[in-house]
Amino acid sequence: MKPVMTFALMTMRSLVRRRTIWGISIVILLALIGIGQVPGYGTTNQGRFIIDFGLFGLEVGAFLLAVGLASNIYPRDRERRTIMPIIAVPLSRGEYLMGRFLGAAIVQAAAILVGCIGLMIVLIMKNHAVPPDLFPASLLLVVEGWFLLAVVFFFSFWTSPPLNAPLTLFLFIVSQMSVLDFVKLVPGVPGLMRVIRLLLPHMDVFHIKDPITHGMDIPGLYFLLAVLYGLSYMAFMLSVALAVFRKRDLK
Amino acid sequence: MILKLLAISVLLLVLSCRADYDIEEVADEEYLGEGHHSHDLPDSLQHEESLHDHSGDPEHDAGEEHAGEHKERLEDEAVSGHQMHVHQPGERNHGTEWFFNQPWAAKFIWGKMLRDSVVLILLAGLITFFSGRNRK
Repeated sequence: MKPVMTFALMTMRSLVRRRTIWGISIVILLALIGIGQVPGYGTTNQGRFIIDFGLFGLEVGAFLLAVGLASNIYPRDRERRTIMPIIAVPLSRGEYLMGRFLGAAIVQAAAILVGCIGLMIVLIMKNHAVPPDLFPASLLLVVEGWFLLAVVFFFSFWTSPPLNAPLTLFLFIVSQMSVLDFVKLVPGVPGLMRVIRLLLPHMDVFHIKDPITHGMDIPGLYFLLAVLYGLSYMAFMLSVALAVFRKRDLK
Repeated sequence: MILKLLAISVLLLVLSCRADYDIEEVADEEYLGEGHHSHDLPDSLQHEESLHDHSGDPEHDAGEEHAGEHKERLEDEAVSGHQMHVHQPGERNHGTEWFFNQPWAAKFIWGKMLRDSVVLILLAGLITFFSGRNRK
C-alpha cells in the first residue's frame, strides 16, 4: 500500500502544478460569485436559488475536473515513455492505476470542497442561512466526481483524449436520465436499451439539493447508502479499467 | 476465457434484471396514489358531508360554518378562474410528485441501492481477479 500512496502523492503534486486544475477551480468560484450576484428582486427565497444553482455548478465542476485531471494522465505517460520504468520494477499495473486515481481523486475532492466553502461564503455574504446538510451534499458530489474520474480513466486506456471528454459527457448525461426516458431514445430495441441503462448508475442518488433548499432533513442512513452506492460503482469502473489496462501493449 | 466471460455476463444480466429502481416503475400504487387526490369541488364536499353527520354538535356547527366559508371561497375562485390552492409544506400532492419521487424520499428503494452496491463490489472483485489471473 505504501508504494501506491507514495505514487498517489507524486501524482497529486504533478496535477497541482498543472494549469488545468487552477483554471477549472477559478471558473467554478467565478460561477459561484456570479450566482450570488443575481438580484433577488425582493423574493424571500433567493437563498434557495443560490443553493440550487450553486450545487448544480459544483456538479458540473466535478465533471470538468474529472475530464481535466484524468484524461491526459495515461496518454502523457505513454507518450513520454515514463510509464515503462514505473511499471517495469516498482509498481504493478494495478498499483499504477490506483496511485494515479488516488492522486487525482484527492485533488478533485479538495477542489469541490473549496467550491462548497465558496458557496457557504456567498450565502453568508448575502445574509442567507447556510443549511446544515450543504456539506454532506457536497460530499455526495465528491463521490459522483470520483465515479466520473474512474470513467475517464477507463476511457483513457482505449481512446484518445479528445474522444474521452465527449464519451464521458455522454455517460454523464445518460446517467441523469430515468430508465423510461432512456428507452424512449431508441424505442425500437427497448430490451437492449433497458440493459444498457441499468448498467449505468442513477446519478439522482447523489442529488439532494431539492430537500436542502426546502429545509428538509435527510436521514444519515441515506448518506451512507448513497456514498456506498457511488463507491461501489467507482470500484466497478476501476476494475473494468484495470482489466483493459492489463491487456494493453505499452510498446 | 469463454467461461469467465459467461460468468461475468450472467452476473451483469442478473444485475440488469434486478437493478431497476426507477421510482415511477417500482413504486406501489399506494405510494404513488398519495399524490392523486381530487380537488373536484362537489365530490369532495359531498364526501365530507357524508362522512360527518354531527347535527346538534355546536363545535361541529362551527366547523360546518368554516366548511361553508371554504366552499364559498373555492366557488369564488372557480368563478373568477383562479384555481390555485395551497398545501401544507412537505405534503405530497399532485404538484410535488417529482419532488417525492427522488431517491432520498423513496425509502423503499434504499434496500435496492444496498443490493446493487453489494453486486457491484462483487463484480469488481471478480473482474479484478480474473483479469489478473489471465495476465499471469
